[in-house]
Amino acid sequence: MQVRVPENLSLMEKLNILSDAAKYDVACTSSGTERGNSGKGVGNCIEPGICHSFSADGRCISLLKILFTNECIYNCRYCLNRVSNDVPRAAFTPQEVCDLVMGFYRRNYIEGLFLSSGILKSPSYTMELLFQTLYKLRHECGFGGYIHVKAIPGADPRLIEMTGYLADRMSINLELPTAEGLKRLAPSKSRTRILTPMRQVQNRMAENRNELALYQNAPRFVPAGQSTQMIIGATPESDYQIVSVAEALYQKFALKRVFYSAFVRVNEDSLLPALPGGPPLLREHRLYQADWLLRYYGFRAEELLSEEKPNFNVLLDPKCDWALCHLEQFPVEINRADYQTLLRVPGIGVRSARRIVKARRLGSLDFPDLKRMGVVLKRALYFITCRGRTMYPIRIEEDYITRNLLSVKERLPLGLGEQMTYRQLSLFDDFNFSVSSESSGRTACGLSAQ
Amino acid sequence: MTTTTVFWCEDSLYGILTGVYEAWDSRLGHDRVRLKTDEQDSLELFCDYRQVKTDASKAEKVLGTIRERLGEEAFEAVCYAAACEDSGRADAIYRMVVLGLHMKNGQQVVNCLQNPCVSLVMRLRTKAWHEAHRYMGFVRFEELENGVLYAQIEPVCAVLPLLAPHFAERFRQEHWVIHDKKRGLMAVHPRGTLWVLADAGDLNPACLERRSGREREFQELWKSFCKAIAIEERRNPRCQQGLLPLRFRDCMTEFQETV
Repeated sequence: MQVRVPENLSLMEKLNILSDAAKYDVACTSSGTERGNSGKGVGNCIEPGICHSFSADGRCISLLKILFTNECIYNCRYCLNRVSNDVPRAAFTPQEVCDLVMGFYRRNYIEGLFLSSGILKSPSYTMELLFQTLYKLRHECGFGGYIHVKAIPGADPRLIEMTGYLADRMSINLELPTAEGLKRLAPSKSRTRILTPMRQVQNRMAENRNELALYQNAPRFVPAGQSTQMIIGATPESDYQIVSVAEALYQKFALKRVFYSAFVRVNEDSLLPALPGGPPLLREHRLYQADWLLRYYGFRAEELLSEEKPNFNVLLDPKCDWALCHLEQFPVEINRADYQTLLRVPGIGVRSARRIVKARRLGSLDFPDLKRMGVVLKRALYFITCRGRTMYPIRIEEDYITRNLLSVKERLPLGLGEQMTYRQLSLFDDFNFSVSSESSGRTACGLSAQ
Repeated sequence: MTTTTVFWCEDSLYGILTGVYEAWDSRLGHDRVRLKTDEQDSLELFCDYRQVKTDASKAEKVLGTIRERLGEEAFEAVCYAAACEDSGRADAIYRMVVLGLHMKNGQQVVNCLQNPCVSLVMRLRTKAWHEAHRYMGFVRFEELENGVLYAQIEPVCAVLPLLAPHFAERFRQEHWVIHDKKRGLMAVHPRGTLWVLADAGDLNPACLERRSGREREFQELWKSFCKAIAIEERRNPRCQQGLLPLRFRDCMTEFQETV
């Protein structure tokens, strides 16, 4: 096939084309590795990462996120750069990428480089170009900042390994949550070809940890860990399937992060879903919330969702949703409950749970103390007691709590004290009649008849 | 009737710490003294006012004690909290030090969040740390003709001393200057040596006008990158503004109109 990359583009034109082509990649993070300045070159890495700007869509800009080239031999249906699309094509040279990175980094525009690429000629050929770029950047320019590089499935394992020693984080895109989806939308890619390099990087990282335990100055392989990303909403998987896949990746492949990317329909294709309401951003948000619950809060996928309840609640976050289904475990006594139990209370996060555990050794805690510690009381108050008391007289009852949690503004729970029996009538309440499955129109009639 | 003695300190870390020293040293009793940093516009009745003259050696002594008895975390918290502009911080720092020195294990004082003063110091610490961390990303250097990297900031907390070590590590082999326009201070880092804090009055404005040859090109490249990286279908200016408030944007290259 012919290569359609024009020769005479300016650096500005190339940057425009190749950053535009890279914008659908997620994972612009620079966290997970701590490295001092080498003393000769420029740059270091800090553990929490740094965001350098935020783009108009509210996503963080931390790394110079570019494709090496948007030329590609594959024809994945969801991708803007597929071979059958007529889009302007461009390719950087390794030197140009180095100039851009060094120029931007010195001005503190960026924390490092995020380098991905379309497949030029073959996976191994492309991987070698990425390697050359990273080599030049690390050894000729003395760049000590953060580098996130994509490993290309199907490339020579030796190339992947050599690149891994130059990068901080490596990622291999899972693309779609299930093998069937992949077969449908990206026929030239296969699940095994994606998982093989992922396993390779995982094993090499484990070996490298042993080497580092023995020799402190051994070269470090992918020190910030491995991540992946998948597209949400292009194929008909349920949230339960997606969360289970993510959980399996964390457990079996020791991934640092799984990123979710709401599907944006950039190609006209009969196999792609039409999304009249725009990309499924709320769904993406719920998945990230659940992802945090998996990684930091000790939840398992089957606790959050199940075959019978395969999708997340639109109105409530996954943790509130879980708590409402497990009211038998609440209320929790703040001054006695263990750390893991505190973590499961809606409105208490990792930080506030840690603060509580440390502070209560020095004296018992009350609600104003919790507020100062950063506990979100408007959510937590239904699930906790301090010194045996709840904050207000409340009922531990599912629909009562749900109604109060759904009110956006912070307010006292409805029906305080004397008015405990009062209950506001709303369209969705059904206490005198049951909503039949026939039509919602009847419900409305029933209401007006009352 | 008992009168309270108010120790009036200079609005700086050393000013506050000297105040802590003086208040302790006065032996008036902890509940009869108070520390204050803000302007003297309205005086209270039944109060003695004492002006505290900032003394670096006294401040260093207090700092040393905090580090030794209350631990590294408390030390850091006091330094960060002192960088904030909050009228109650001097007194809160004093109370925290008093509490910590009376505890069996002084290192535990940072966990004692039931105490309103400790809680305030820790919240201010977070605030200043957050501001400093944001500026680690939002500082924008311009390369001047003589090769010096120059940046301006306007932070709400006095974060320049917290920010400079980060850039000193990152750009060890560069000459750079970060100028806090609000406070008239600057951090200066000559290549390969330590950074120093200096008065910004020494800057030569004519020198700042002359940019290096490729400066303009890189600014334009960066602006177009920031534009290209946003996904139109996901446009969300409110989210952007929450994460990157408008007050930062005056000094940021990507939000300046091309002239």
